[in-house]
Amino acid sequence: MKDNIYTISKKDLFDLFSRLASSSRVVVPYIKGERFYFADFDPEKEDSIELGGIRQSEPVKSFFSRPREKVSGFDKDKPKPLILAGVKSCDLAGFYIQDSVFLTGDVKDPIYASNRENTTIISVDCTFAKETCFCLAIEGAPYPTANFDMNLSIMDNNILVEVATAKGEAIVSRYRMFFKSAGTRHTQIRDSNRRAVSDEVKDFINKRGTPDSSKIKGMVKEKYNLQELWQDTASTCVECGACNLICPTCHCFLLFDGSRGVHPIRNRIWDACLYKSFARVAGGANPRKHLYERMRNRFDKKFSFFPETIGKFACTGCGRCIDACAGDIDIREVLKGLVNGKWNKPPHK
Amino acid sequence: MKNPYSSIQAEVLNVVTESANIKTFTIKPRGEIGFRAGQFMEVSLPGIGEAPFTPSSNHNNKETLDFTIMSAGRVTKLIHEAKPGDIFGLRGPYGLGYPLDTFKSKEVFIVGGGVGLAPLRALLYALFNEIDSYKKITVKYGARTPKDIIYKGEIDTWRTKSKNINIEISTDIGDDTWKGNVGLVTTILNKDSLDIENSVAIVCGPPIMMKFVTFKLLDLGFKDNQVYLSMEKNMSCGIGKCGHCRIGPFYACKDGPVFTYDKIKGLPNIWD
Repeated sequence: MKDNIYTISKKDLFDLFSRLASSSRVVVPYIKGERFYFADFDPEKEDSIELGGIRQSEPVKSFFSRPREKVSGFDKDKPKPLILAGVKSCDLAGFYIQDSVFLTGDVKDPIYASNRENTTIISVDCTFAKETCFCLAIEGAPYPTANFDMNLSIMDNNILVEVATAKGEAIVSRYRMFFKSAGTRHTQIRDSNRRAVSDEVKDFINKRGTPDSSKIKGMVKEKYNLQELWQDTASTCVECGACNLICPTCHCFLLFDGSRGVHPIRNRIWDACLYKSFARVAGGANPRKHLYERMRNRFDKKFSFFPETIGKFACTGCGRCIDACAGDIDIREVLKGLVNGKWNKPPHK
Repeated sequence: MKNPYSSIQAEVLNVVTESANIKTFTIKPRGEIGFRAGQFMEVSLPGIGEAPFTPSSNHNNKETLDFTIMSAGRVTKLIHEAKPGDIFGLRGPYGLGYPLDTFKSKEVFIVGGGVGLAPLRALLYALFNEIDSYKKITVKYGARTPKDIIYKGEIDTWRTKSKNINIEISTDIGDDTWKGNVGLVTTILNKDSLDIENSVAIVCGPPIMMKFVTFKLLDLGFKDNQVYLSMEKNMSCGIGKCGHCRIGPFYACKDGPVFTYDKIKGLPNIWD
């Protein structure tokens, strides 16, 4: 028997959420149609809470650096602690990038740091895969291996709980009555479920011929000057920035000033490198005037910059950008084209 | 934790009109904020917006800072309306600045274009602080017309700082009063009596000027790692988080904004 694993029934888990909600904000995933989304835990809506499934439509980065927020010029009340439940592995992988941007270097981002500190992450194994899932090609897996405080693996009538940090341990020790001890017989079921979902992801990867990380490494650099390839990639892009905004790793933001009465306030909103103005300077010079250059830049940042600077791809295989793209540009097809040198213009559907 | 996005206030003490679209603002920060020549700061109009500028004053002057600013966009146009007594916001300094220690005992060859002379003025004052440490200082400055030359009243005083300083100005277009060279700044770049082996070249100006000056310097015999370029990208947060000023594996705000040419040579769109 391991000392960091437990089981909990679904009913007890929801009771736990209710208890936690008295002193914390508890956010859980709900299902609507085929989509999963985050909202505050509401015992009245327990029936539509879906812990398993796949990643939610929105990336969890929005809980740490918000789409629009004040960064200076205001007094911030300390928010309630946040318990964020139902996070999937591809969003946890996003923390490698987000944390490296906001928590390392000479200066930390105080807002992100405080939100990270204030949040307990309860992740959940994916219980199935979607055609757009390709985490296993990008050094990931459909179940959490790092960056969580507590992980849940849903089994037939029970949930296996793995505690990874002191934050997770604090919940267990405070509400010990909900947790029962677990052993190998539980981890065997979990591992078998994980294998089954992994096989689904592998099937989708193989059917499409999505290249894996070993083949992708260095490819953007190698094909950087194939202008035609990048122009073709961008040929149906409408510069909406959805791929940037919905990406769990994209972190860029725009600072802009405003005021509340006579008090100046500095705000930030998420920015997108597909926007023409992204790198433009006041004199009008723009290092990425052309759309294909901005499209290429997005891939360069994800598959060259971050691997070179922190040793991680800034893509987690979540497939959100595939769903979000109005021009039917499929990141898997772009990667395929880079590796095979055989180009396939969008739409990729 | 200190909030890196918050500005301190600075009062405008003096405004000098340098040219039709360039002014120098002397400001007094209400709080501690120093810099080393070549580092930049984010200057804001409270509630309106901010933009990155390299101070143009002597970094040993702790009381006041000069910023020489061209009216080029939304924020700078409004900054140009500022009068003594007005309040700016200020945060920084950011970036690495010029590695002055490695310039010591060398010949410093400075090439500026337009408002690009601003950070070079801060560099010059820094060199003047320890003038005997540098073997020779050469300044080549290019402006569009004689009317566009900035620091007009001051340049002659620079010539008196040492017998080893040489300053030459060229204008792209001349006029009746102009006795100097007419032509792009590249036309006044020559070996003169330079000891190139033992020199560093410092360049700041518009991207197209930096490009051709760099190529000319390489033709003259400068090595890639002897050419220091000010890469003025869209620096916004100043701390390598917002993503706007990326050049290959670097952020201009924290890894620059001054780079030697060998570091950025071959990276995409560096001259745009």
